[in-house]
Amino acid sequence: MASFLHSIRWRIQAWHGLILLVMIVAFCFTAWRLAWDATQRRIDRDLRATEHRLFRGLMISAFGQDNFESNDATTSDTDTRPRPTPADLMLRMRDRNRPVTLSPELEEYFANTAPGYGYFVIRDHDGSILLQSQNVPDDFVFPPPPSRRTSAQGNDEKRSAPEPLRTLRTRREAIRGVPEGAAILTGRDITPELAEKNRLAWKLAAAGLGIWLLGLAGGWWIAGRAIRPIRAISHTATRIAEGNLDERIDTRDAESELGQLATVLNDTFARLHASIEQQKRFTSDASHELRTPISILIAETQRILKRERTSAEYRETLQTCADTAARMRHLVEALLLLARQEAPGRNFNTQTRVSCDLADIMRDTARQLAPLAAERHIEIDTTALVPAPLSADPATLGIIATNLISNAIQHHHVAGKTGAGGHIRLKTGVSENKQACLIVEDDGPGIAAEDLPHIFDRFYRADKARTHNADQAPHIGLGLAIVRRIIENHRGTIEARSEPGRGTAFEVRLPQL
Amino acid sequence: MRLLVIEDDPALQRSLAATLREENYAVDTASDGEDGLYKARENTYDVILLDVMLPKLDGWGVLAALRDNATPQGAGAKPVSEAISKTPILMLTARDTVPDRIRGLDHGADDYLTKPFDIDELLARIRALIRRSAGQTSSLVVLSGGITLDTAARRVTNAGGVEIPLTAREYSLLEYLALHRGEVVSRTTLYEHLFDEDDDTFSNLLDVHVSNLRKKLDSDIIQTRRGHGYSVEK
Repeated sequence: MASFLHSIRWRIQAWHGLILLVMIVAFCFTAWRLAWDATQRRIDRDLRATEHRLFRGLMISAFGQDNFESNDATTSDTDTRPRPTPADLMLRMRDRNRPVTLSPELEEYFANTAPGYGYFVIRDHDGSILLQSQNVPDDFVFPPPPSRRTSAQGNDEKRSAPEPLRTLRTRREAIRGVPEGAAILTGRDITPELAEKNRLAWKLAAAGLGIWLLGLAGGWWIAGRAIRPIRAISHTATRIAEGNLDERIDTRDAESELGQLATVLNDTFARLHASIEQQKRFTSDASHELRTPISILIAETQRILKRERTSAEYRETLQTCADTAARMRHLVEALLLLARQEAPGRNFNTQTRVSCDLADIMRDTARQLAPLAAERHIEIDTTALVPAPLSADPATLGIIATNLISNAIQHHHVAGKTGAGGHIRLKTGVSENKQACLIVEDDGPGIAAEDLPHIFDRFYRADKARTHNADQAPHIGLGLAIVRRIIENHRGTIEARSEPGRGTAFEVRLPQL
Repeated sequence: MRLLVIEDDPALQRSLAATLREENYAVDTASDGEDGLYKARENTYDVILLDVMLPKLDGWGVLAALRDNATPQGAGAKPVSEAISKTPILMLTARDTVPDRIRGLDHGADDYLTKPFDIDELLARIRALIRRSAGQTSSLVVLSGGITLDTAARRVTNAGGVEIPLTAREYSLLEYLALHRGEVVSRTTLYEHLFDEDDDTFSNLLDVHVSNLRKKLDSDIIQTRRGHGYSVEK
C-alpha cells in the first residue's frame, strides 16, 4: 500500500478517480431526484384528477346531472338557482337515509387493486367515515385533522389552500378539507412509480459505474503514457549503471517536458561515457604499454638470479633494468600528461591563460635542447623567431615546443648516423588572421607518405624498428598525440608536411585572442 | 633444440635470447614480422616464440603465413613445407583478452602467453611444446639399457639411477635423438636443431659430440647409419 501512495501514477489515479466519482455520484443523484420529482408531480396531478372525478361523480349522484352540470355550464347566468357546494354535498352525505352512491363506472374504478389503483375516503368532522371506496388498503389510517389555524379566514381561502399531501410507503394521498369539518382523502397506489424509481436508480448507478470505470481506465492510460518516459529513463539509467554505457533514452516524443529531460540526460550520459572511455583508454594504454618493459624487468632479473654471475654481467643487467625503468617512467609521465590534457572540461576557456610570446618560449626550449642537438651535430636555427604574442598556457606551449624540437632531433639522429649533422629551423610570427604561427622545420629523412596521416595517433611509431639506446630519450609514440591535444585545447591547428629524404615541417597555428 | 624469437623490443629480445641460450637452446632472433617469417621458412625450428605487435607484418600475419599453405603472405612468399607448418608456435603478447587468446589458438598457435610472463613458466611451456610435437607426453624418456632422460631437469641417469654428467651440447644431441627415437635423424637435421645461425660449426663437431656421448653413456644406444645419420633404438 505504501508503494501505491508513493507511486506518482497511483496518486494521479487516486485523485482523478475520487473527483470523478464525486462528480458522477452528484450528477446521478440529481438526475434521479429530478426524475422522481417529475414523477411525483405527475402522481399529484393524477390524484387531483381522480379527486375531481370523484367529486363530480358524487355531486351528480347527489344532486342530479342537470343541477350539477348547470353549475359548470356557461349559461349559468340565466340560472338563478343556488348551485350545490361541497358543503351541500357533505350535508347531503350525512343523511344516512339517502346514501350517495357512485356511478357504476366510478364504482368499478375504485374497486380494482391493480398497481396504480386509486381509492378514496370521506370523513366527517367527528371522525366517522361518510363514504369510502372498497379498495382502501387494510393498513389505512386517516391522518389527524389538519391544523385549524387558517379555518377562521373563510371558506374561499380554505378551499384554495394547498391540500396536504403525504406519501405512505407505497401510497400517495391528498386530503382536501371541505367546510363542515369533513375531509375527502384520495389516495393512489404508487408501487409502479416506486419500482420505476428503483429501476432508474439502478440504471443510473450502472451507467455511473460504467463511466467511472471508463474514466479510471482512461486516466490510468494517460497517466501511464505521461510517466512512461520516466520509466524509460530509469530503465536506461539502470542499464547504464550496470555498465552498459552505450544505452541512451529513447527521445522520440521530445516535445514533452520529460522528453526534454531525456535529452538533457542523454547529453549527460554521453559526456560521462566519453569521460569513462577516456579513463578506460588511459588504463588500457598504460597497462598495455607497461607490459613489455615489465616483461623485460622480470625476464632479466629472473635470468640473472638463476646462477652466480660475473660483476660485468650484473652491471649489464642492472643497466638494462635501469633503462627499462626510465622508459616506464617516461611512459607513465607522458600518459598522465595526455590524460590531463584530455580531461573533460580541459578546454580553451577554463585554461589558465596568460599573455606570453611564442618566440620566447621557442627560444628558451631551443636553449634547453641545444646540448642534445649538439651531441648529434644538429644546429638549431632561431634567427627567424619573430615575436608572436598570444594569450595561452605557457607551460603547455613549452611541452609543444619540447616535443616538436626533440622529435626533430631524434629523427635526425636515426637517419643521420652517417650524415654530417643537420639543421632545425624554428620560425614564429603572426598571420594576417590574428593567429600566432610556429614552424619547426628539419632537413632530416622525412616521413613516409603512408605514415603521415597517423603520426598524431597514440603509440604510432613511424620508425617501426624501435631503437632504445641508453643515451637516447625513449621514444614511446605519445609526443605528437600530446602536442595535438594541447593545440586542440587552444583551438589551434597543427599540420605536418614532409618530403621523404628532404625533411619535415610542422606548422602550428594558435588563435592570439 | 633450436628456437626462433620474433620480438621487436630490442631489450626484451636480448633478454629472451640470453635466457634461452643459457638453457642450451640454439636461438635465432628476428625484430620484425617479415624477417621472422623469412627465417621461419628458411630454417626448421622446434618452437617459434611470436610477438603479436610487430612492425611490417604483425604476429597474426606471420601466424597465417606459416599455418595456411594456400595463401602465403609477405615478401617472397612460397608454400611452406609440411615440417615448418607443424612447428609449434607460442604467442607472446601484451593483449590478454579472451577473444585475443581464442583468435590466436584458433589461427594455429599452439600456446599463448601474456606479457609480463614468468621465465620459468615460459621455459616449461617451451619444453611441453617440444615434447608434444615429438609425440611425448611425459618429461621422462626411458631408453634401452635403462638410460633415463629427464627433459624438465635436463638430467640423464643410468640404469642404477646415477647421474651421467653431460655437456649442454651433448645433452641436447641426446635429447633430440631420444625424442625422435626409432627414426633415422640426418646430420643436417641435427645441425639445424642444435646450432643457431651464429654458430660456426665444423662438420666433424657432431661426430666428436656423438663419440663423447657414447663414451659417457657407456652404451651403444646411438647407432650410426652410414650415409643417413644417427638413430636411437626405440
